[in-house]
Amino acid sequence: MQTVTIKNLTKNFGSSVAIDNLSLNIEKGKITGLIGADGAGKTTLLRTIIGLLLADSGEIDVLGFNPKTQKDELNLHIGYMPQKFGLYEDLTVIENLRLYADLKGVTHDFDKMLEFTTLAPFQDRLAGALSGGMKQKLGLACTLLGNPEFLLLDEPSVGVDPISRRDLMKMVREMINPETTVLWSTAYLDEAHSFDTAVVIDKGKVIYEGKPHDLASTPQEFENKVIDLMGGYNKEESLIAKNYDYKAPDVELTVEADNLEKRYGNFYAVKNNTFKIRKGEIFGLLGPNGAGKSTSFKMMCGLAKPTSGTARIMGTDIIRHPAKARSNLGYMAQKFSLYGSLTVRQNLNFFALVYGISILKRKEKVDEIIEVFGLKEYEKCPADELPLGLKQRLSMAAALIHNPPVLFLDEPTSGVDVLTRRDFWNHITSLAKKGVTILVTTHFMDEAEYCDRISLFYKGQTVAVGTPKELKQKAGANDMETAFINLIKESEVK
Amino acid sequence: MIRDFLRRVAALIKKEFITIWNDPKTKGIIIGMPLMQLLIFSNTSTMEVQNIDTVILDRSKSVESRELISRFEYSPRFRNFYYVDNEEDFKKQFDVQKVQIGLNIPNDFSRKVKSGKGAIVQVVSDGRQTNSAAIGAGYAGQIIAGYSNDLIGNPDTGLNITVRHWFNPNLKYKWYILTIIVSMLSLVTTLILTSLSIARERELGTFDQLIVSPLSSFEILLGKSIPPLCIAMALTMIMTGIIIIFFKIPFVGSVLLFLVSMTISLLAIVGVGLYISAISNTQQQAILSAMTFMMPAVLLSGFISPVEDMPLCLQYLTYLDPVRFFMVLSRGIFLKGMGISDVIANIIPLLVIASITLTLASRTFKRKLG
Amino acid sequence: MKILIALIKKEIKQILRDPSSIIIAFVLPFISIMIYMYGINLDSVKITMGVKNDDNSPEVATLVKSFGHSKYINSINYDNMEDIKTAVLSSKIKGAVVIPNDFSTKLSRGEKADLLVITDGSETNTANYVQSYATTIANQWLSSSRFSRKIKRPVITAESRTWYNPDLNSHYFIVPGSIAITMTLIGILLTSLVVAREWERGTMEALLSTSIKPIHIVLGKYIPYFVLGMMSMAFNVFLCVGIFKIPFRGNYFILFVVSGLFLFTSLGIGLTVSSKLKNQFLSSMVAMSLGFMPALMLSGLMYPINSMPEFFQHLTRIIPPRYYVSFIESEFMAGTIPEIVIANAVFLTILGCLLFIAVYTNTSTRLDGNK
Repeated sequence: MQTVTIKNLTKNFGSSVAIDNLSLNIEKGKITGLIGADGAGKTTLLRTIIGLLLADSGEIDVLGFNPKTQKDELNLHIGYMPQKFGLYEDLTVIENLRLYADLKGVTHDFDKMLEFTTLAPFQDRLAGALSGGMKQKLGLACTLLGNPEFLLLDEPSVGVDPISRRDLMKMVREMINPETTVLWSTAYLDEAHSFDTAVVIDKGKVIYEGKPHDLASTPQEFENKVIDLMGGYNKEESLIAKNYDYKAPDVELTVEADNLEKRYGNFYAVKNNTFKIRKGEIFGLLGPNGAGKSTSFKMMCGLAKPTSGTARIMGTDIIRHPAKARSNLGYMAQKFSLYGSLTVRQNLNFFALVYGISILKRKEKVDEIIEVFGLKEYEKCPADELPLGLKQRLSMAAALIHNPPVLFLDEPTSGVDVLTRRDFWNHITSLAKKGVTILVTTHFMDEAEYCDRISLFYKGQTVAVGTPKELKQKAGANDMETAFINLIKESEVK
Repeated sequence: MIRDFLRRVAALIKKEFITIWNDPKTKGIIIGMPLMQLLIFSNTSTMEVQNIDTVILDRSKSVESRELISRFEYSPRFRNFYYVDNEEDFKKQFDVQKVQIGLNIPNDFSRKVKSGKGAIVQVVSDGRQTNSAAIGAGYAGQIIAGYSNDLIGNPDTGLNITVRHWFNPNLKYKWYILTIIVSMLSLVTTLILTSLSIARERELGTFDQLIVSPLSSFEILLGKSIPPLCIAMALTMIMTGIIIIFFKIPFVGSVLLFLVSMTISLLAIVGVGLYISAISNTQQQAILSAMTFMMPAVLLSGFISPVEDMPLCLQYLTYLDPVRFFMVLSRGIFLKGMGISDVIANIIPLLVIASITLTLASRTFKRKLG
Repeated sequence: MKILIALIKKEIKQILRDPSSIIIAFVLPFISIMIYMYGINLDSVKITMGVKNDDNSPEVATLVKSFGHSKYINSINYDNMEDIKTAVLSSKIKGAVVIPNDFSTKLSRGEKADLLVITDGSETNTANYVQSYATTIANQWLSSSRFSRKIKRPVITAESRTWYNPDLNSHYFIVPGSIAITMTLIGILLTSLVVAREWERGTMEALLSTSIKPIHIVLGKYIPYFVLGMMSMAFNVFLCVGIFKIPFRGNYFILFVVSGLFLFTSLGIGLTVSSKLKNQFLSSMVAMSLGFMPALMLSGLMYPINSMPEFFQHLTRIIPPRYYVSFIESEFMAGTIPEIVIANAVFLTILGCLLFIAVYTNTSTRLDGNK
């Protein structure tokens, strides 16, 4: 039994090919993982399957419907969660649920849903005020309403912490019945490894289709195999690090957080957060969504004003001399925040100039960074039209362009494909070796292993600090993910 | 130091221009919409009332009444005539808005004219139609007075009133209204351009990136105010050029003074727009606040009725209204050739408004951080 | 149906949560009407003008006095033309009257006496006032002075009547006109943002993946803003008639029905622009240019449509406020006149339906705009 049958599907956007003569079957009652590099055509494929986009040629049959002519009937049977889920940020949690329940014509019985998502205590909070993980849970909850026969999830776990990621997975597995088909696009290969089927696409074509366990028995191996399928990753000398030219700082402690606190009424978003980072260190800030990482981050770079305490970058107080402190800083925000209507090159030109790269050197510098981040073929493309992973690359490129001695990266690898993630970390570690100080947050626990030291953050406070090895020992775990979950649970008990 | 400053501001300015200029739709709308409106409104805004439709109830049916009516028929301002023979039909024509003016000639008209006792012709106008009906009634009165004078022969006594309209010898309404339309269109465009500029970046999340960069509040302020100022200036100059060339309105003032005062006027409006933008969280709030500012600002600018005629408290309020000074300056320099001291007197309040709003805006960038 | 109700409920919550829509619907009309009532006066505008008298005879002194005593004029005496020039240039005075030194001599001789009236032609409105005030005052003075014997009386006098507004109170037509402006603003500007916002924020994609139909999206926007608009309308009418005592001679039922039709067309303009452009900045710019400004300038509110060049007279036929302004002024001042109500209502209905079709065809349930 097939839920989806696709034959010779083609979809072009202007002159660029998004889906190239693709044929694919998706089996009923199975969870299928959709994997692919950034810009491989995953989102376009999902949108075409449910009729949000029309194919140029080829045939699609979904649940016996033709998405081209029977979109309305088809949509009654599916649940689709777009990458940027359309929550109404000015409505509350419960109002969003009610809206989608009414749109799908199902009853307002949310108890089970709220319990599953642990959103029950927050049901009257505006969706815009939720943390990233909570938003994803709410988006998934809205998608799951009405028990659709066919679920399509476009990277639902982007920017979600390991605990919430497990929750999301659990939600899907427990809320569906054995008849439900799931098509799950993801960048987490451990996730994909646990699915029934994996489909790897590249440049709009299917390059692998089969059981993940047939390809490899462990998630780690699976990741390597997928990387091989996608052309393989050759670790090369990081060109960015090689050409990185900056004055070695004369201070040893390049980043200091001094008793940072952020209070909203009686609620502490961040409480006496103190840490010091040495030159050339990669310092990881880990923690569940809503733990206060982003708030800390924002206070560190002067985007939010601490209630008390301060931060120093290269010895300069961020509150008293913000402009001077920031000139030493490269910042990559969690949410894509470059100019959508500007092209890739124009964005980079802009940040190069703002960060004081002289006009003569600018072109050389921008050329170089476009080359290194593989943005050459997109340089004339408006940033808005880039796929998520390429947007992240562009943000990283913009943060690095002025060779700052300190880098703040807030979830740099969210939504980035596995190849590019490895590439990112190659650059990050090489930069650290050259003496660049890096403060980073991530939800990929394998990435945490790259950090020199990690601060584990929970409910606004530091729960544990140490090297990855120390933390694993402390938690009595073999891998970071288990260590993370154990340590959080431990502090919960306290 | 100063080079870094210039470089950063230049980068920001360039970015703002690219966002507008990259997109043909945006470019077309910002330039095309005001020009299209100028073209239409310049043709339609007229107080020289024409094509007046008239209903006539002639109870006299005499040589004199025919003569009077024929004078109306020959007047270029009057178009269609409807002849009725009773009051009811007369009123009906008004009710359904078929006519704007009515002439009611009584049956003793001819007799009274002949006896020189003073005949009365009733001129009725439709009070529902702005002042055009009143103007039409004025024309009718002139025609009647002209006929009356012809009947008694030119009086050689009385007053010989000569009216001289300075700066606009034929008192062409177009000269006046076109300078106002140009200011209005610049005002609307500038206000929309600026009030959305920061609010949009906030809604899309890009404003954080600017704050984290080494750009100081002052630099952001410059980067945010110069591009709309340039666009608004260019637009104003294009529109001014059009009304000089195509509508042959003489520009009598000093070009330099005009440029300086337009720049400062637009700067004050840019300041208001940016301040609105800085305090708004969403684009909707920004645009609606801009409207809430604009409506009273235009109404109180003196364009609809003179400032001196307002209650005192409102007169003081107009000192906060950049549109007031903007209109005085544009019209004053353009048509009257206003001198430097008068220009300065009007520029000072604008400078005060600009500096207050711009300062408030740049302070709000940061205060909004939370 | 359930889908539609859900969308409407959502929209209403969004309206209530954002104070700016409440401000535009209730606060702005209040401010506007206040200004129209107290700040703007088109009936008896008081003008500052200069008087220069070169004739020292006592009769002429009374003429100068009557300028000073007129309640429409604030007169300032000048001795030389240079000062008058400076004062006009700086807009201190809007015009002047110059009485030559042979003024009374000529009048006593039974000749025509010259009188010079100067106006600031750069403001044509006030220039007209200066001209007519000066002429009227001078003529009145003349007819009551001892020189009047020498003047022949005119054989025909025109007696002016203004129907529907015999007191010539301009508030009676300006304030109903301001209702038309407010209704345009709510109908066009607010809605020009609301569809574009869903595209910009990404909520549209999630909506479209449900079995929602274009008609749901369209009605889900029309209905809540229609309700908001009608509430604002009721508030406006309450202010006009209840608080500011503007006479209303028509029928409230008809007033609200035709206002509803007008709102229907305005919403159509805003939503067409919004669903076509999908960008809040551009659609607000276009909505202002295609919706709001024409409502001011081409509706007949400020300029008589009859006097426009013929091509533009035809152009105004596609502008909904034209019909509404004509209707609302008449309904307020003359009462219900079936011909006027029907003619305007029919045109509004036709335009409203055409715009509804435009909104509907621009609403797609696919991302690339295919039907």
